[in-house]
Amino acid sequence: MQTFDTTTTTLPTLRRGSQLYETERRLNAVLNNASVAIFLMDDRQHCVYMNRAAELLTGFSLTEVLTRDCPLHDIVHHTYPDGRPFPLAECAIDRAFPENNQERGEEVFVHKDGHFYPVGFTASPIRDDEARIIGTIIEVRDITEEKAAAERQRLLTNELNHRVKNTLATVQSIAAQTFKGKTDGVARQTFDARMVALSNTHNVLTAENWESASLRSVVEGAVAPHALAEVDTARFDLVGPDTRLHPKVAVTLAMALHELMTNAAKYGALSVPEGRVGVSWTLEPEGSGERLDLVWTETGGPPVAPPTRRGFGSRLIERQLPLEFDGSADLTFAPTGVICRLRIPLTALGWHGQERVTGRVAR
Amino acid sequence: MSGLQGRRVLLVEDESLVAMLGEDMLLDLGCEVEVAMRLDKAVALARGADLDMAILDVNLGDTCSYPVADALFERGIPFIFATGYGLSGIEPAYNAIPVMQKPYQVAQMERLLRHLLTCKTPPRGNMPSLPCGCSFWAKIVGPHQIRAD
Repeated sequence: MQTFDTTTTTLPTLRRGSQLYETERRLNAVLNNASVAIFLMDDRQHCVYMNRAAELLTGFSLTEVLTRDCPLHDIVHHTYPDGRPFPLAECAIDRAFPENNQERGEEVFVHKDGHFYPVGFTASPIRDDEARIIGTIIEVRDITEEKAAAERQRLLTNELNHRVKNTLATVQSIAAQTFKGKTDGVARQTFDARMVALSNTHNVLTAENWESASLRSVVEGAVAPHALAEVDTARFDLVGPDTRLHPKVAVTLAMALHELMTNAAKYGALSVPEGRVGVSWTLEPEGSGERLDLVWTETGGPPVAPPTRRGFGSRLIERQLPLEFDGSADLTFAPTGVICRLRIPLTALGWHGQERVTGRVAR
Repeated sequence: MSGLQGRRVLLVEDESLVAMLGEDMLLDLGCEVEVAMRLDKAVALARGADLDMAILDVNLGDTCSYPVADALFERGIPFIFATGYGLSGIEPAYNAIPVMQKPYQVAQMERLLRHLLTCKTPPRGNMPSLPCGCSFWAKIVGPHQIRAD
């Protein structure tokens, strides 16, 4: 079996100025100035070469590794972080060898001084002239900083979720204390219901780290009697494909649906046992993205008379929603039941700085 | 009389519920209100609408309202920023612009809008010294301080 032996081709044995000498000198300069650790492995998983970055990463010198004459795994990867021994047979890097080209993954290595550190690796097979695999090149980088950054991000998101919910609860409490005995119970109930609708939408968003919300979850959340309840299928028909909504769309849409729900329960289809509400939606191509076309249809309710004054709900739906999303809204108080048609472009919604944070553009 | 009676105010605010609150406060102060919630519409209004003053929410979701500020500045229409971030959330080039802290409060809004009325509108062109009772326009003297985006 052929194996590498780079130790025999060291610079002093080559004639200074020869082409091989220059090539070797150049390659050494590349390898030893690379910030990624590079290991050259033979077919027994013994390390036969490592660059300077690899020595810094592991704490071992190339000479030490060569002297040990054992699989590299047993030198830098021999123990699980919980202290159990880590046999070579269980090693993902070893398993990657030799079938897969550019196998990537994350592992936790053990430094010479005993501390554990997370690494990202890429393993690529080396073949001889007959395409037989005779070794592997493994690139390894320390990802301690990336792991720490991801953890900080997770903690910050948790803190954000916590504070948003607490702030909503605080606002609710301030309102309750402020208006105690000074306003009628109906106004208080309306206010509390709106706060709960807002809070429920934030539940959907926090579950998704504020990146987006499922359209179906938003609709279901809005028509369910409370946060943990199932949608009453005897009264609601929800028909449409799921998609991802930008947080702003999710919040405004949920508030709009909440207002329609409240109106239906007070005056519309949900004010009588036999009334039903259909919510159906389609996603239509628009520009480079999609547009949500959603229709709310009430049937089986008492005859509808147009309201004498336009309140918060119709103002939010008919005016704010089109302004906020460059869409349109059409609220009809038909005698057979309220019909509300919403058209909301879902294109190009992101948040300021999103590319910098997530490394990608919205949608 | 608030002195703001009949003043035409552009309100740029990207959150529906907050925009409703801001609009109601301005209406209560006797102003006429144009609401824009998206940058393109806000810029169009800043360039063409008949306006006396403006309130600009700095953060418009995926963008910022600075292009609106630049359009208003070109026409000499005074404005204030609204932000929940405090002064540190504003680009340094705009640090002479008065900032209204969120959440909106009608007293603060009224005080800052009145303050705008006491300032003389800057002349067309870029004359550095203005007979202005406050430091509002005087600090912004050249187009080099104004972002073009």
